[in-house]
Amino acid sequence: MTRRGNPLLPYMLIFPTLFFVLIFTVYPTISSLIGSLFQHRLNIPRFRDPVFYGLGNYIDLFTSGQFRMILGNTLRYVVTVVPLWVVTALFLALWLSRPRFARLRVAMFHPTMLPMVSAATVWMFFLTPDYGLLNEFLRFFGYSGPENWVSNPSLSLWALVFVAFWKDAGFYMIFYLAGVQNLPNDVYEALKLEGAGPLVTFFRFTLPLLRRTTLFVTTVAVIGAFRIVDHVFIMTQGGPSGHSTLLLYHLWRVRFDSLNVGQSSAITVILILMLLAFTVTNFLISERRHTDA
Amino acid sequence: MPRFMMITALIALVAVGAFAGGQTEATEDQPVTIRIAYPVAVDAPVTEILDGYAEEFMAENPNVQVETVYAGGYEDVKTTIQTTIDGGGDAPALGVMLATDLFDLANAQYIEPMTPYVDAMENSEAYLDDFLPAFLSNSYYMDELWSLPFQRSAVVMYYNADLLAESGHGVPTDWETLGETASDLTERDGDTVTRWGIEWPSGWPYWLFQPLAIGAGQNIVGESDTEVYFDEPEVIAAIEYYNSLSTEYGAMPEGVQASWGNVVPNFVSGNTAMIIHSSGSLSNVLSQADFEVGVTGIPGPDGGSFSVPGGGNLYMTTGLSEAQKQAAFDFAVFITEPSRAADFSIQTGYIATRESALADDAMQAYISENPQAGQTRDVLATAGKELAVQNLGEVRNIFHSHLQSAINGDMAPSEAMAEAQRAADEALADFR
Repeated sequence: MTRRGNPLLPYMLIFPTLFFVLIFTVYPTISSLIGSLFQHRLNIPRFRDPVFYGLGNYIDLFTSGQFRMILGNTLRYVVTVVPLWVVTALFLALWLSRPRFARLRVAMFHPTMLPMVSAATVWMFFLTPDYGLLNEFLRFFGYSGPENWVSNPSLSLWALVFVAFWKDAGFYMIFYLAGVQNLPNDVYEALKLEGAGPLVTFFRFTLPLLRRTTLFVTTVAVIGAFRIVDHVFIMTQGGPSGHSTLLLYHLWRVRFDSLNVGQSSAITVILILMLLAFTVTNFLISERRHTDA
Repeated sequence: MPRFMMITALIALVAVGAFAGGQTEATEDQPVTIRIAYPVAVDAPVTEILDGYAEEFMAENPNVQVETVYAGGYEDVKTTIQTTIDGGGDAPALGVMLATDLFDLANAQYIEPMTPYVDAMENSEAYLDDFLPAFLSNSYYMDELWSLPFQRSAVVMYYNADLLAESGHGVPTDWETLGETASDLTERDGDTVTRWGIEWPSGWPYWLFQPLAIGAGQNIVGESDTEVYFDEPEVIAAIEYYNSLSTEYGAMPEGVQASWGNVVPNFVSGNTAMIIHSSGSLSNVLSQADFEVGVTGIPGPDGGSFSVPGGGNLYMTTGLSEAQKQAAFDFAVFITEPSRAADFSIQTGYIATRESALADDAMQAYISENPQAGQTRDVLATAGKELAVQNLGEVRNIFHSHLQSAINGDMAPSEAMAEAQRAADEALADFR
């Protein structure tokens, strides 16, 4: 009996996955990269067939004040909503991991199950100027400040952050719940015997033990923050004056409203690079800490 | 043996996945299927109406199968058609998209000219002459006819006639009386406003703003498809007047108002005395308001009544078979027939697109019962041109962004419009 198998078998086994990764990830990435080097604008007859443009699309983008503002909006959005998600998800998971809170977990998770379009529409109703529920609620406490949440240039981005936070915090909680429930019980029993306080337990044990989960959650959350765009369509359309335009919404507009295929490819490449830079840094930092420990 | 089976199964699986996309081509003698993409974000039961028309058409033309595809708004229909054609798929044969999208759609070869089909009609000239010129003028480009007016509207001002009568005001005729009337009709309870004199949505503002600029003496768009006039003194005066309705008269909420969906409910419940909106909301307004509703154009600084047309046309997409093209055109003609144009207008509040539809018995009966339906049509008599230029998406976005800055007070109106003009000229340079 020989243990030598068919040498093709491993390749056959990864083939289905590889096939889809090539078709849906590698091919579009390469095609965007190439496309971004061309002036390709469907609504201008002479650029309807791509014309080589070098780094022109990137230069056009980075010299545009509007695009720099959109990058700024996107960064502010991501660095606000991701920590909100991760920290809230962690505390919800720690709080709700006990079996008697099982029903509350469902309550916390339910916004995740709503389609973003419905959730944003419901929030539009809450955020209505004048008689919206949020304004009524704030008025109850005697507040009568800015009331026009989605059309106020300094509030519209935060209205988007808030709705995204409300919607997906429960989603990231699920990952932490799985992590928390896998924590070794004996360690905590030992800590109790040693008389360790809750702060020491949390910062010296729980948090480091959940590092792998945190790495996963932050990565997924950052990608999620860049990816969610439905609420922009429903709530602000990027307005007023572009103050709540996020990168992906802008990408849609450049591609389908301005029919500028080359520039939209360049935005795609910028988006991929930003995500790649973050993911790689996140892994490197986390892995180094892992080997240090 | 199990390994062999597994490999076979894997190969089979991949093969099925790879070839499942292939489709068989329809042959000549098979019935023709056409699909029509339609935006449902309208204040009327459009799915029922459209499905009804499709049924009627199929009863008359048993060889044609009409399928309706419903999408959210005009943008969604456009995106559906663009992505399908870009991806090499079968796009819906007909789509209802904004009349102003013409240049971009035609340049990008998403749509097919209808001229050959109209020319082949027995009464082609009479057919085209019957459409209201304000609507049909949007359909021509490069000496071709590209679309048929279908779901057309105009900017109008709805007013609560009972409130005006109670307060002793007539219908506002110029900027000053509009401001004063709106101011008088605004009611406050301490700091809280319980009724606004006027609401004028500005979340997607160019359309509702245009009549103000036209009234002031300068439309923001010129006759050619590459001219815009954003930084003219009249346009700036129009912005200043818009702002004064809140800052001076205290009759309108301050700043940009993304209130398109809210103002009709506010108006019909009596919480707002006058609103600027689409004539397409007429049926909805009339069915819900328990007071006398008046409809008029937007007054100019020294009188007059101004408006712009809007709404969607029927476009035929590219990549159809000859049989599909003919069926799609026949269906487009079928649903624009006078009796159906009248029926559609009565059921939705959109303006009947043809003279003969307005003369239709049912339409006349409806107008005598609801004179407002006739008033929306009268508004069109003095309507200017809707913003329709090359590279529309970008130019419109530039205008929106700067107009909103001027409304929110981030920039002075003159400064914002100078910047908008510069950016728009740049965006149009490639087309001149």
